[in-house]
Amino acid sequence: MLENIALIKEVHEHMPTKKAQEEAKESLKKIELENIGLNRLNQCNSYEVFCVCFIRALMTKESDVIIVTPFHLIDNLRNIKTIISIVEKLQVKKNILILDTISNEIHYKDSSCNIVK
Amino acid sequence: MVLRFIEVIGDKTISTISSFFEALKFTSICLIHMAKPASYNPAMRMVLTKQIYFTAVGIIPLFTTMAVLFGSVIIGVVIALATEYGLQDEIGSIIITFVIDEFSPFFTALLISLRSGTAVNTEIAVMNVNQELNTLRQYNIDLIDYLFLPRIISGMISVVSLSILFAVIILSSGYLFTLFYMNMDFHTYKYLLINAIEVKDLVVLLLKSMAFGFVTMLIPIYSGLKTTSAYTAIPISVLNGMVKLFVALFFIEVLSLLLQSL
Repeated sequence: MLENIALIKEVHEHMPTKKAQEEAKESLKKIELENIGLNRLNQCNSYEVFCVCFIRALMTKESDVIIVTPFHLIDNLRNIKTIISIVEKLQVKKNILILDTISNEIHYKDSSCNIVK
Repeated sequence: MVLRFIEVIGDKTISTISSFFEALKFTSICLIHMAKPASYNPAMRMVLTKQIYFTAVGIIPLFTTMAVLFGSVIIGVVIALATEYGLQDEIGSIIITFVIDEFSPFFTALLISLRSGTAVNTEIAVMNVNQELNTLRQYNIDLIDYLFLPRIISGMISVVSLSILFAVIILSSGYLFTLFYMNMDFHTYKYLLINAIEVKDLVVLLLKSMAFGFVTMLIPIYSGLKTTSAYTAIPISVLNGMVKLFVALFFIEVLSLLLQSL
């Protein structure tokens, strides 16, 4: 997983592998997932895979990160607060947009998201 | 009926020619990327190191065993035949031509094709079917730089280095057979080989191994890329890739024989 996250900066910023992996490790540590750093895809659950994909997206130079249907990406996700908590822990400075279907509206109840229908 | 037959032939010809030019285009793009220093980013270098380890280092025990077993038998047969036909004076050139120019690069390329060529073909095909290649494209990661170039370069390095190792092992085995058949001492054998070897032989070994290494990785990669989006297409892709690879290996071998005979 570390290699997967570090790849973006290694390719686009020519950052040395060691440094890029250190940054990836730090990000995983912020969301208490440092233990999955050396895991392969089949050793991670859907929540861990989502977090890795999200951190990887944050490593790009894009100013917006779009999460599409998070309730389909993570098994047994009941509330959007889990995602918001990840965003907060990672101290994200980018715009995070979540695209979801109206049928999942209930999961966004009482959340701090700005909902646009 | 005749018109339909001509149409079918025409279709086949056009499709064969267009796929040939497409493959040629892919080859030239890979070569251009190989020459660009920007292609060698840290991620690429990491993959390259791993690929060299998997392709060249991981195979050494099996390769050495096979070289000792098969190589010794074959060089033994060559020396025995040369002795039987009274070619003892030419034994140095026979060994050098047979081992360095022909057998070492070809045998190494066959072994690497069977071991790593199939693995690379399957890997790229699975990545293609799983949409992993699309994910990389979406992140603006150049597939040639990150995935293909490390494999192609590792193939070239592996075939060249293992061909040299194979030649050294066979030449050592050759000594045992010359000792057995001709009562030749080590110094005579050594001088025989030194006198027979020319710069041309080393150039042939190097160029041929590089060409073999290049196609050993390029063709499986290309075949994996052409896989349609279904798991059932993966075995077909590997099968097609391996057939094309073996045709290419034989083509290079024949071409090199033709060029050397000029």
